[in-house]
Amino acid sequence: MPRIDEVSDAQLVTSIARYSEVALAEAYRRHGGAVFGLAKRVLANPTDAEDVAQEVFLRLWNQPDRFDPARGSLRSFLLAQAHGRAVDAVRSSSSRRAREARDALRTAESPYDMQREVWDMAVADQVSNAMGDLPEEERRAIELAYFDGHTYREVAQLLEQPEGTVKSRIRNGMRRMRAHLADAGVRGVDAQ
Amino acid sequence: MTHDEASDLLGAYALDAVDGSEFTDLEEHLETCPRCRAELDSLRDVAAAMGNSVEPLPEGLWSQIAVRLPERQEDEEPPPMPRLTPEGSSPFRSPASHAASTRRRRTTLTTVGAIAVAAAAVAIVLGIGLVRADNRVSNLQSAQAAPTAAVKTALNTPGHRVVTLDSSTHAEQAQVVVLPSGQGYVVSSTLPSLDKGRTYQLWEIEGNQPISLGLLGGSPGRAAFTMAGSTRPSHLSITAEPAGGSVFPTGPILATGTV
Repeated sequence: MPRIDEVSDAQLVTSIARYSEVALAEAYRRHGGAVFGLAKRVLANPTDAEDVAQEVFLRLWNQPDRFDPARGSLRSFLLAQAHGRAVDAVRSSSSRRAREARDALRTAESPYDMQREVWDMAVADQVSNAMGDLPEEERRAIELAYFDGHTYREVAQLLEQPEGTVKSRIRNGMRRMRAHLADAGVRGVDAQ
Repeated sequence: MTHDEASDLLGAYALDAVDGSEFTDLEEHLETCPRCRAELDSLRDVAAAMGNSVEPLPEGLWSQIAVRLPERQEDEEPPPMPRLTPEGSSPFRSPASHAASTRRRRTTLTTVGAIAVAAAAVAIVLGIGLVRADNRVSNLQSAQAAPTAAVKTALNTPGHRVVTLDSSTHAEQAQVVVLPSGQGYVVSSTLPSLDKGRTYQLWEIEGNQPISLGLLGGSPGRAAFTMAGSTRPSHLSITAEPAGGSVFPTGPILATGTV
């Protein structure tokens, strides 16, 4: 029997499907910090981010078959789940005013939020380079959508641009980043 | 939604930035378009790379998750199952030796014929315990429309499992929810309507043994079923069968999912 910290993510999920609490705990140990980190970044609120992290891991427990290793890493899957939940929370709970207050708070604090423990400096650098290399309007549209939880239509309003333009900028920017990361040898994200 | 329209939206969709009817239309398109699914997977990886920064985990968060894990019946052995075992061409193999099956067949065929009203004539019952087998066969007729409320309640019941049944090309065909009690419901399905005289049938697969869980009708919507013997089968599958159902799958497996 391999030790639990030596098994692959895919094997972990198989064990979770067989009700192994230890396997879920190990998945949490490997990926919980990233799930919580992304939720916190989108929600700008640690308590709400904890709720999202709980939901993500309970969902992995209840519906492990949702994860398909053929379609990407477990980290990537869990981050997509966390992002979806966080964005849902942002959209359902915050009134326009609360949201503006949140955005203002984020703007006031954001450039100096550097104590985040970065998962892998080399890869994080590549991601940051890839984002930095994007044309400003593409990067801005992507950030507003992904980190602030706006729909692309809302982004279009915020930037006072046609919706079709914003949609294309997001698509082109994402493809540009994908090419940049592929050139740098970064494929997807995984546990450290 | 055309392929090009969908393709244009995938960047925003990977960022969860699409909503409303566009969202629904795009999800529909994704179900049938492997190219878009592959594109989406790679864009989601890009999104994950952007969002992948690890925060120290808050103290006590794991305990909050752990206390919400439903009670498990891991130590309970499922009761022994009767087996409705096949003859003839089928993706499944009979574990019994041919000699044994021939011998048993003689003694049980008449009784089975009386019991298995809906069973295909070729089906042979090898199992022990004909009363249990009778229960199983009666399950063939037991598909009932399940009220939406029952499905909703099931989805809120602790310990429920949602099983997604996919086709061989990984397109989602149906979702069912299974409760710890063994009660289950079809939550949704995208299976095409069948001709009159045919019905979808849901199977529980244990090892190589298919056990009927019930008929889903020719255009499956919400249906209820019971997993009588085991509450933790490993696989569920759907086949199309003659109306009235079969004791053993006669058609190819159209969708399958792991519990």
